[in-house]
Amino acid sequence: MIQLLHIELFKIFKRPRTYISFGIVTAITFVIQLAMLTDGKGFVNFALSGVNEQFDIQGNILNGYLIAYIILQSLLIHIPLLVALVAGDALAGEANAGTLRLLLTKPIARYKLVLMKFTGAFIYTVLLIVWLAVVALFLSLLLFGKGDMINLKSEAFVMILQDDVMWRYALAFAFAVLAMTTIASMSLLLSAFADNSIGPIIATMGIVVVLTILSNLELPLFTIIKPYLFTTHMIAWKGFFDAPIPYYAIGRSALVLVIYTIGFLAATVWYFNKKDIKS
Amino acid sequence: MRKILLLCIVLAGTLKVKADDGTKLFYALRTKILTVKDYTADVKMKIDVSFMRVPQLRGTLYFKAPDKMRLERNGGLSMLPKKNINLTISNLIPSGNVTVIDMGPVTVKGKKLRLLKAIPEDDMANIILTKIWVDEANLVATRAETTTRNDGTVIMDLDFGHYTNYGLPDKVTIYMNVKDYKLPKGVTMDYNDETEATKAPKSASQGPQKGTIEINYLKYAINTGLSDDKFGKR
Repeated sequence: MIQLLHIELFKIFKRPRTYISFGIVTAITFVIQLAMLTDGKGFVNFALSGVNEQFDIQGNILNGYLIAYIILQSLLIHIPLLVALVAGDALAGEANAGTLRLLLTKPIARYKLVLMKFTGAFIYTVLLIVWLAVVALFLSLLLFGKGDMINLKSEAFVMILQDDVMWRYALAFAFAVLAMTTIASMSLLLSAFADNSIGPIIATMGIVVVLTILSNLELPLFTIIKPYLFTTHMIAWKGFFDAPIPYYAIGRSALVLVIYTIGFLAATVWYFNKKDIKS
Repeated sequence: MRKILLLCIVLAGTLKVKADDGTKLFYALRTKILTVKDYTADVKMKIDVSFMRVPQLRGTLYFKAPDKMRLERNGGLSMLPKKNINLTISNLIPSGNVTVIDMGPVTVKGKKLRLLKAIPEDDMANIILTKIWVDEANLVATRAETTTRNDGTVIMDLDFGHYTNYGLPDKVTIYMNVKDYKLPKGVTMDYNDETEATKAPKSASQGPQKGTIEINYLKYAINTGLSDDKFGKR
């Protein structure tokens, strides 16, 4: 099993496209940081206009913690694509290259192969989120300094003391790993259906985009289905920046994501076990 | 007829004396408050506004008469009510010439106080009317209710202890009107946790809501000659 994992990781990290994701995360982060360095005050004034009318807030509002939150908010919409680049390619890429049949001639159970592909995608996801934490949080702290963090919700203004922020980020990034693992498992399932990696990658993004829109539309028609969409629960990391922290709701969201992940993985194993491998 | 006229004169005289007493008391109180030109105080501040979730803030509050105030929080954010709603009693009592109406003695929480109504003679002043509950024995205002032209009504409760001689409170509670706050959900992309605890209470109307700010003054340094530089924008 360990050897299989080594091979899988070697394959993932040997490919240049794997590093494109890290480059994209870095580029987007730099762009947001640059924008905030040049025009951050205007953004903060706009966002705080409702509060500024009544309270005079002074200090380093535009600090590293707030910048990291803004980056995380915008990047977690794009990261599913980057996860799909690897997870969507895991089985379909092998089929496309004609190595899948060869691989399955080895005495390896198919479910083990799927689990190794999933573990490889999971490790890649963890590394991507860790890299996101490094460039989004630590680099932002370096550029913008520390300070109390503000979190603007639609009906509330939340302020978190600077000594109380770091552990929230640790939990938020951990939750982001869980959310992206769900994406990886879905992408792996789609990858099992295809013989070309483009299809699963695009399908993953299509599903994420459509479901994210449904999750955010405030229409009674979608209210019933929202709790069952995994995209509704993917943003539960934001709950760690609330006061009080809605632990029950976050736990429920985590459970939904775990169920989805296991479901996608089980479906992948089931389908791949009975799949007629032709290439 | 002569008796009625005499009674009216005596009554008018009594009221005049009472009004004079109230005016004297008001000016004496204001003079005492204005003896504090500046102070630096270690404070604990609690903001209780429906849409704000702010933890208790500790910091140093700088004040310089007549209206300069700044909260410094060792690298953290500081929040103070804007405009004329200042955290000090000197900004809630009218300045200049004032017409004082003595409403007589009242008992609040078992304590005998004197209620004064002060109306500024300047028609353009932001303060329209201030009701002051005065502890005559210590010459301090324990409550002020100020109706302003632009900032609604502000109520301030003051508890005194260690700095009564300067008319500086140990604890101040300010009740003020706050406007509603809302950002589009499409912008904030809120996580809908569906728990009542994290939801901002819905106001019955979209009108102003009440907010409370509680400040505990732990230690004062009074009249140290603070420079204006302390109050510049940071």
